[in-house]
Amino acid sequence: MPHEVIMPALGMAQDTGLIVAWHKSPGDAVAADDVLFEVETDKATMEVAAGADGFVTQIRAHAGSEVPVGDVIALIGDSSEAVHTEEGPADATAPAATAVELPKGNNVIMPALGMAQDTGLIVAWHKAPGDSVAAGDILFEVETDKSTVEVEAGFDGFVAALLAEAGEEAPVGETIAVITATKPDKPVQASRASAPKVVPGPAAEISARAAETPAPKPAKAATPASKAAAPVAGTGRILASPKARRLALEQGLDLNRLAETGHPQPYHVADLETLKSLPTKGLETTGAATRRLTAELPSESFGGFAAWAAEAAGLKDAGALLAGLAAASLGREATVALERFGVARVFSVPVGPLGNIAAASLETAPDLIVRDLRASRISSVTLGAEDAPTLTLKQAGDGLAITLECASHQMTAAEAVALLSNFAGRMEQPLRHLL
Amino acid sequence: MRNITLSQAVNEALAEEMRRDETVFIIGEDVAEAGTPFKVLSGLVEEFGTSRVVDTPIAEPGFMGIAVGAAMTGSRPVVDLMFGDFIYLVMDQLCNQAAKTHYMSGGKLNVPLVLRTNLGATRRSAAQHSQSLHALVAHIPGLKVALPSSAYEAKGLMKTAIRDNNPVVIFEDKLMYNDKAPVPEEEYLIPFGQANIKREGTDITLIGTSSMVQICEKAAEILAREGISAEVIDPRTIVPLDEETLLKSARKTSRVIVVDEGHQTFGITGEIASRINEKAFYHLDAPVLRMGAMDVPVPFTPALEDLTVPTPEAVVENARKLMSGEMIHAA
Repeated sequence: MPHEVIMPALGMAQDTGLIVAWHKSPGDAVAADDVLFEVETDKATMEVAAGADGFVTQIRAHAGSEVPVGDVIALIGDSSEAVHTEEGPADATAPAATAVELPKGNNVIMPALGMAQDTGLIVAWHKAPGDSVAAGDILFEVETDKSTVEVEAGFDGFVAALLAEAGEEAPVGETIAVITATKPDKPVQASRASAPKVVPGPAAEISARAAETPAPKPAKAATPASKAAAPVAGTGRILASPKARRLALEQGLDLNRLAETGHPQPYHVADLETLKSLPTKGLETTGAATRRLTAELPSESFGGFAAWAAEAAGLKDAGALLAGLAAASLGREATVALERFGVARVFSVPVGPLGNIAAASLETAPDLIVRDLRASRISSVTLGAEDAPTLTLKQAGDGLAITLECASHQMTAAEAVALLSNFAGRMEQPLRHLL
Repeated sequence: MRNITLSQAVNEALAEEMRRDETVFIIGEDVAEAGTPFKVLSGLVEEFGTSRVVDTPIAEPGFMGIAVGAAMTGSRPVVDLMFGDFIYLVMDQLCNQAAKTHYMSGGKLNVPLVLRTNLGATRRSAAQHSQSLHALVAHIPGLKVALPSSAYEAKGLMKTAIRDNNPVVIFEDKLMYNDKAPVPEEEYLIPFGQANIKREGTDITLIGTSSMVQICEKAAEILAREGISAEVIDPRTIVPLDEETLLKSARKTSRVIVVDEGHQTFGITGEIASRINEKAFYHLDAPVLRMGAMDVPVPFTPALEDLTVPTPEAVVENARKLMSGEMIHAA
């Protein structure tokens, strides 16, 4: 009865072990204390002894494959005669039918960067198939649930195969690249979706890599760009107070719709009013050709703000400031036409400080029209859509009434609501715009 | 109604209870002829004599132990601990003996004892005479803790404490001894576990203890001028705590700031905030904020000492943040 070598449980929470290398080949004589193979778990790489004297008669799982704890991975018999050379059933990751020949070389595996990490997302490859590579070169970037880490190649040579594409996830331990000592004739580029399963040749020298770089570099190289690009809202969870959430639930309001308009989070009870004012989805698609929205402010601080800006920042053109706040409400660089006392001016408003606003040619087609009727006696505005969305300002008691009119093809209902809400907020508290 | 100082109110409470019940006596350092450094007890030794107003050597563990024994055997001692900071010296007598005797004797023994002491910084008394240590004893089951916020509370809570059959620790704010407040001539008691709504409001709840009640009231006045309606609540006793009143207010306003002069870390602000969070979570529109004293030894330097305690301006600033929906901490 041959001795069965099983995948040992080396950690408390370990389900599988990655066989990094075999130190014996089928037919080799082995003593119980001899190192038979190396296993990599999420914590460390360990050498495992054979556990029995005899001859290695069968190796069922190849280096590079991940095997569940407890599975038989090798047999040790009394003689070298009964040596099996075929692959055993335990090597589930390498069904012979789909296997294609891959370049023989050093396999680069998806590293385990976190304690509880099962897979890693390949953010980018820094080398292409056929490229020469040094051991210290960054080969790829991996994103885990915690951070993005640049991983070094670990071997000198040439990239002979990339077995996963950027954007794909690969299980920890899976071979995702092969590096050969000589320049490959036919470098392989594959994706995990279409890729052949990895069948490293028996001569794959994995142990070298494992010994040199048992663990990936720490997360010092986490790319700031990718972190910044993941905003709070990017987690998919909308930030809202418990009370706002409860009221939204009770009233059948969907906070997602507010988020879609770009209304700034976190949401509080007051924001539910904005949510309620959003047109329903049905109207949005079948709605009238013209959109008309009005916001009323009990007070406005723009006059005071303009005086302050002239005094403190030397921004003496109140018209430019008004155009600036309007463009900022749109959330992008914009050309704004300002009509006041029947005179039209056009401003080019970049994103950023209000001081950078420049006058533009009257011929420029505006993205937004601001019609300032504060000094007039007009009390109600329904003029219909113009060539661009039009914001009309008129006096209403001590405050301000702002009307937004636009054609439905110019802005979606949600965009219109966002524009008017943002602009009304800026007219009410212009200083917030600076913050 | 007449206005009297907090000192006079405590003095009256003690005198009335000593006249009413001859088992009540006072014990501590400088309580008799000196009448304590704050002159709270002036005149009592003349009326009740040195057998009921007992001066002791400077030996806090000793006279606290005497008082616990006296309480177990039929007296109602009022222990005078000159500074709240000295409570460290009587911890075993207070927390291991007084707090647990009723429980461990199977209800056969009571410890009807009052420990009178004080809290509060900004008296330029440096780090060992300026602490507010009520959270230390509020943590121990078996002790009741009262924090009077004015002369009215000081008298009513003291009389209730003396009549309670369990150990009670009363912390008076040492900066408030000369503050006057309306106190009725006729007798009254303030029951434990009943918060006092000092000012009604609808937008935000300010929960303050001891002298922080005044801070909250001043903050509420400033906020009112800005159109923000703040409700100010004084729990009066933190053990037992009138949770219902606090939760009701939190559900009404959806925003709460808890202000207390103990160190913020692991303080009672955290305890109160946590209970509101647990029991009124779905009514909150903003995180419950804690405002305690800075986590540093109280500085002697006046300019620094004043920075360590909550001020009306700081409360107002935080209230504004909660009202505007500003994110307090990055989520």
